[in-house]
Amino acid sequence: MLRVTDVCKVFESARGTYFALDGVSLTIRDGEFVCLLGPSGCGKSTLLNILAGFESVSGGTATFNNTAITRADRERVMLFQDAGSALLPWLSTEENVRFGLRVRKVPKVDWPATIDKYLRMVSLDSHRAKFPAELSGGMRQRLQIARALAVEPKVLLMDEPFAALDALTRRHMHTVLLDIWRRTGKTIVFVTHDIAEAISLADRIAVMSTGPRSTITRLIDIGLQRPRDMTNPKVAQLFNEIESLLTPDVLRSSERLEVH
Amino acid sequence: MVNVPDSRAPFSAAPLRGKHTWTMSPVSRSVLLAGASILIAFVAWQFLSTVLFNPFLIPPPLEVFRTAIPMVASGEILADVSISMVRVLVGFVTGSLAGIIIGVLLGRIRLLHDVLDPIIELLRYLSPTAMIPIAVIWFGIGELSKYFLIFWGTFFIVLINTTAGVWRAPIARQRAAECLGANRFQIFMLIVVPSSVPYIVTGMRVAMASSFMSIIPAEILAADSGIGYLLQKSSMLLQTNRIFVALLTICVLGFIVDRIFRIFVDKVLARYMSFVSQT
Ligand SMILES: Nc1ncnc2c1ncn2[C@@H]1O[C@H](COP(=O)(O)OP(=O)(O)OP(=O)(O)O)[C@@H](O)[C@H]1O
Ligand SMILES: [Mg+2]
Repeated sequence: MLRVTDVCKVFESARGTYFALDGVSLTIRDGEFVCLLGPSGCGKSTLLNILAGFESVSGGTATFNNTAITRADRERVMLFQDAGSALLPWLSTEENVRFGLRVRKVPKVDWPATIDKYLRMVSLDSHRAKFPAELSGGMRQRLQIARALAVEPKVLLMDEPFAALDALTRRHMHTVLLDIWRRTGKTIVFVTHDIAEAISLADRIAVMSTGPRSTITRLIDIGLQRPRDMTNPKVAQLFNEIESLLTPDVLRSSERLEVH
Repeated sequence: MVNVPDSRAPFSAAPLRGKHTWTMSPVSRSVLLAGASILIAFVAWQFLSTVLFNPFLIPPPLEVFRTAIPMVASGEILADVSISMVRVLVGFVTGSLAGIIIGVLLGRIRLLHDVLDPIIELLRYLSPTAMIPIAVIWFGIGELSKYFLIFWGTFFIVLINTTAGVWRAPIARQRAAECLGANRFQIFMLIVVPSSVPYIVTGMRVAMASSFMSIIPAEILAADSGIGYLLQKSSMLLQTNRIFVALLTICVLGFIVDRIFRIFVDKVLARYMSFVSQT
C-alpha cells in the first residue's frame, strides 16, 4: 500500500521558494491502477518522484507498506517518459534487461529464462540484439517496461510514458500495459495529462489542481468494465466532468458569459 | 560487434540510377575529391613558389620531394618522427588518464570541484608554450620536460570535457538504474562514466591536436632531437627545403594519428558514442 498524507513540497532555489504541492493525501491499494491527472506544471512528476523516493517531502508523510519512503527502492520502479535517456544506449535490448538483473543480484542461472519471459511479454524477443537507437519510440517504452518488470517490483511508477507516441501506438501500448497489469497484479501509478488515456486505463483518477500549492481536488472511481468501450455515455460524462475540473476558473467564467 | 547506425547508410541505400547515368560509390567519390583537393594545393604551391614569390622562400613541390627522399631513405626523418611521437604519446596518455580520473571525480564530488575549480580555471590559461621556460629549469632539456609539457596541454582539456560529460549524464538514466537496484558505486561506474564517453573522446581529440601543436615549440626551444629540432636546425642553416619537409611531415603525421584515433573509437567505443534521440 502506497500512502501520502498531507504532503507538501517546497522547492527552494536562488530565485525564491516555490510551493509545488500542498496538502496532498492519497492511498493506493496493492494491485490498483491509479492515474494522476492534472495540468502541466501542477506537480504530477514531483508527486511521483516522492513516491519513488527521489525527492523528499517538505511536510506530511509518504509511506510504502507503512514504512516511510526515504530513498529509491527496488520495490518501486520508475518508468520515464524519455525512454531514450532512461535506457542504456550502449547495451542491446537483451543487455538492458540483463543490467537490471545484474544490479539486483538475481542469480546468474535465472537470467536467460527471466530475460526471455519479459522480452516475450512485451513482444521484443525478436529484437533482442538491437540497440535502443535502433528501436522505435514504442519499442523503447516496451523495453523500459520489460526491464522494470524483470526485477519484479511491486509498484510501477510511470511518468507520461506514452506521451511522445502517436495515437495508434499509444492505444496499442495501453492494451499491452493493461494485459501485463492483469497478468502480474502490479500496483501502477500512471501520470498523464490526457483525460481519455486516464479514463481508459485507471481504476481511479486523482485529479490535481493547477499550481502553486497544487493538491488533489477530486478522486474519481471509474467503475467501468474492462476492456472499456470509449463510446459509452458514462465515458463522455466522466470526460466532461474531468475537463471542467481542469479548466482554469478564469476560462470557465468567460465561457459562462458567452452562454448567457 | 558494432551495431551503431552507420551515418553513411543513406548514401549506400540510395536507389540505383539508370545504367546510362554516370554513377560512383560514395567512397571512391570522396577519394577522388580528396585527390583533386591535394592536386589543387600542389598546383597553387608551385604557382606561389615560382611566380608569386621565389623558390628560395617557398621551394617548389618537386624540390621538396627531392630533398625528402634521402632524408627518408637514411632514416633521419623516421628517427625524428619517432622521437617526437613517443613524447606526444607519453604526455598524451598520462595527461588523458589524469584528466579523466580527476575530471570524473570533480564531476561527482561537489566539494572537490568547488575547491579545485578556481585553480584549474586559472592554470589552464598557461599554454604548454608558456610553460617551456620553467619546464626546462625543472626537468632539463631531456625527455621529461617534453612529457611534462604535453601532459600539461592534454590534462586540462581532457579534464574539463570529462567533468562536463559527467554532469550531463542523464538524470533519468541514473534514477532508472537506482530504482532497478544499483548502488552508488554501480551508478557511477556503469551509468555515469559510460554516459560521459562521448565528451571524453571529444576532449581527447582536441587534446591530441593541441599536443601536436605544442610538441613543436617545445622541441624548437629546448631539445636536441625531434621534428621541432629539425625545423630549428634547418632554419639556422637557411635550409628552406628541409623546413618544408618537416612541415609536410607534421601535416601527414597529425592526419594519420587522428585517423587512427577515430578508427579506434569506431571499433572499440562505438556503442558508447551513440545518442538516442527522443522518439
Ligand atoms: N527542482 C525544482 N526546482 C524548482 N522548482 C521545481 C523543481 N522541480 C519542479 N519544480 C516546479 O514544481 C512544479 C511542478 O513540477 P512537475 O514537474 O512536478 O510538474 P508536472 O505536473 O509533472 O508537469 P508536466 O505535466 O509538464 O510534466 C512546477 O511549477 C515546477 O516549476
Ligand atoms: Mg511531469
